[in-house]
Amino acid sequence: MGEPPGATAVPVAGPPAATAAPGATGGRAHRPSAFARAWAKAVSGTSYLPMTQAQLEALLQRLTDQLAAALAAEPLDLRVGHRVGTELVAAHIASAEGLGRTVEVVQLRLVRDLGLVADDVEDRLARLLAAVATGYARALRDRTLDEQESIRRAAMTARAQAERALRASEARFRHQATHDPLTGLPNRTLFTERLTAAINSPGRGAERVGVCFLDLDRFKVVNDSHGHRTGDALLVIVADRLRRALDGYLVARLGGDEFVILVEHTGGTDDMVAVAEAALAAVREPAVVDGHELTVSASVGIVERQVAGASPGDLMRAADSTLHWAKAAGGVRWALYDADRDRQELARHALSAAIPAALERGEFYLDYQPLASLHDGRVVGVEALVRWRHPELGVLRPDSFIGLAEETGLIVPLGGWVLAEACRQAESWSTAGGAAPYVSVNLAVRQVDRPGLVQEVHGLLRHTGLPPERLQLEITESTMMSTAAEPVRALRVLADLGVRIAIDDFGTGYCNLAYLRDLPVTELKVAGEFVAGLRAPETRADERILASLVSLAHALDLTVTAEGVETAGQAERLRAIGCDAGQGWHFGRPEPAERILERIR
Amino acid sequence: MQRPDWAPDGIDIERPSVARMYDYYLGGSHNFAVDRAAAQAMVAAVPEAPLMAQANRAFLRRAVQFLTDAGVRQFLDIGSGIPTVGNVHEIAQRNAPDARVVYVDVDPVAVAHSREILDGNDRAAVVQEDLRHPERILTHPDVRRLLDFDRPVAVMVVAVLHFVSDDDRPAELLRTLRAALAPGSYLVLSQASADGRSDEERAEAERIYRSTDNPLWIRSRGELAALFDGFELVEPGVVWVPQWRPESADGAEDAERSAFIGGVGRLGG
Ligand SMILES: C[S@@+](CC[C@H](N)C(=O)[O-])C[C@H]1O[C@@H](n2cnc3c(N)ncnc32)[C@H](O)[C@@H]1O
Repeated sequence: MGEPPGATAVPVAGPPAATAAPGATGGRAHRPSAFARAWAKAVSGTSYLPMTQAQLEALLQRLTDQLAAALAAEPLDLRVGHRVGTELVAAHIASAEGLGRTVEVVQLRLVRDLGLVADDVEDRLARLLAAVATGYARALRDRTLDEQESIRRAAMTARAQAERALRASEARFRHQATHDPLTGLPNRTLFTERLTAAINSPGRGAERVGVCFLDLDRFKVVNDSHGHRTGDALLVIVADRLRRALDGYLVARLGGDEFVILVEHTGGTDDMVAVAEAALAAVREPAVVDGHELTVSASVGIVERQVAGASPGDLMRAADSTLHWAKAAGGVRWALYDADRDRQELARHALSAAIPAALERGEFYLDYQPLASLHDGRVVGVEALVRWRHPELGVLRPDSFIGLAEETGLIVPLGGWVLAEACRQAESWSTAGGAAPYVSVNLAVRQVDRPGLVQEVHGLLRHTGLPPERLQLEITESTMMSTAAEPVRALRVLADLGVRIAIDDFGTGYCNLAYLRDLPVTELKVAGEFVAGLRAPETRADERILASLVSLAHALDLTVTAEGVETAGQAERLRAIGCDAGQGWHFGRPEPAERILERIR
Repeated sequence: MQRPDWAPDGIDIERPSVARMYDYYLGGSHNFAVDRAAAQAMVAAVPEAPLMAQANRAFLRRAVQFLTDAGVRQFLDIGSGIPTVGNVHEIAQRNAPDARVVYVDVDPVAVAHSREILDGNDRAAVVQEDLRHPERILTHPDVRRLLDFDRPVAVMVVAVLHFVSDDDRPAELLRTLRAALAPGSYLVLSQASADGRSDEERAEAERIYRSTDNPLWIRSRGELAALFDGFELVEPGVVWVPQWRPESADGAEDAERSAFIGGVGRLGG
């Protein structure tokens, strides 16, 4: 690209030759000679020439004039030849063919066409042409090298640019892969990377590291009542505040309304508590979203420990558990990791996970505790109590596994097994004299809420042949209260069949007697706490409450059984109040059915 | 390994580039061994290949001359190639120093080379874009900065359409460009044609160009004329390029040997 240097005017060395037209050196247009036209024709097509034929002819005319002048001048100035060669290349007549044709046409026609006469003209022409060829070849070589260099440079630039673009897009990609698109905070991937680096970097063993898991309280309510867009906008505000309040720490969003903060080089739990409180304060500020003023709170789980021996996975899990403790305690607070509590929970968790296999292997069995009449001491019923003969832990009582079974839903198969087993065993009980005792089985809320309860009980009774009135289902007061209309109807169907329905632990919940009228209940089992109160003579208040409870129950046609009766004195008092039956150590501890039956017989 | 889709294309100078092959035909040295090998294979198959390129380049020069004479001062040269000699801005700015030129090419090396050449020329710029994305070309900041689409612009698509297959809908691409132009604007098209060529020659040329990123898509004169849809062809219409307003009578000799057809259209209104 670029104008040939000196295309417009190159001073010619020496005086103009006689044959040259006047003004030939000035670049002014004048008619090209036949020679210049022939030269133009010879070189056109040897390479691309960015000019019209007329421009080419004018250029070559000028060079013709210079050659002619040189041939006539004394001494012969070979520099003119060099210059003509250079000029040809500069004018893009720049190819091997261009040179060949030039040599040919000059050799064959220049002297003849211009009618040059001199003794040594042949000789001079040969030397001048050699100079033209030399100048041409040099210029062409330089030009080729220049062009090679410039295209190579362009390739390098292009490559560098492509690499830059690649790096930029990689950086963009990495940013996308490590950040949350909604809030712009680092995401779980980046957090885990940084936590891992904080723990695994060599030489850090003696340092301490902390993690706060933060989760908004009842965020779902915001989403449900204001819509997801508002919920998202709130998350963006919260993210922004956390970022600002905890400048210098890594704040990441794990997903949903869960955030996490990494604190490196902590000095102890106090540092972490300060971070957690700053985070809670930042969240607490009311936020205006879409014209609504929203106030949210959060819960934080804190873990802080020495780096040595820590693993990112364990830290995250511990922080998550701790967060759940804070939530379970009602939220709007932080909780500090407690290794003992965590171990217990883990053990409980492992235990509940083992329930299905234990059911399959028959590791559960039932003990029974008598319910005795306070009037005549007769055993009127027995409560079935499940036991787990754990291969490693020995015999486990229900309080060590029932709670978790209820949380995880495993209570449904386990409770079902208890019910079936109790019915199966109870059917075979016969007593010499009076009626065989009924069997009382606890039902968890999940069992009551299940649609198939009626069929299940009905099927069991038919299968085992146990008369319905010898089965009692114990339901806690809170189960009753939390239960919807449908399960109550199911209980009524069962009650109509003749199955006894007892309210367990009565008096610990709402203690609302009014609702009992509408429920298909046969019996109240009064919680042990009330009975415990009867031990001391001065607690007359408990006794009076109990007495009015009993008379109310009787007014509603319900029988009353007192739980946790431990002494003969308590039994006597309860009898005096009018209580119907009692259960507790005083009447017998839980034991296999045969033992109880033996005693009754 | 599969290239992830977010990664931009790299630079592969191990593959012949049509821009550098063209430079070779024109007599330039802005090319690498792979380019020369492919270009030499082409010359072996079609000995006039260099003359074809020269004829096309000369057509480009005459067209720009014609356009500046007609008063056009803005040029959008798409598929501008490696700036060797006789570039649009040289021709245009020699005639009209205030002329503005934006070059567009997909070849990153061609673009880098152009950028170096144009350094310091504040009335010319180069943009790396693809003719198949005309909307991106039209909205590119450098295009917007240099060209005023309320005034006539000459769009040059010279020796490029034979790298755009019918699957890429060239008519639609050109329509998009046309929609952005003011009345009095021009369209310059040229491309390779096989009219009157043997099937072997055509097949061989197509085979060679398949080794580049730009396989050939030959069109007939009628097909090229149809692509001027919406424009009025200026005299002499779509012809063998040497026949398009030749500067001398013998310029148009053996015109069909050029194997290039081309024309210039004007947007009326
Ligand atoms: C043969 S050169 C033509 C150069 C110049 N227009 C001429 O006619 O002298 C073709 C150029 O078009 C470019 N090209 C090919 N396909 C293209 C596309 N889709 N968009 C833009 N440029 C393209 C190539 O990179 C090459 O530089």
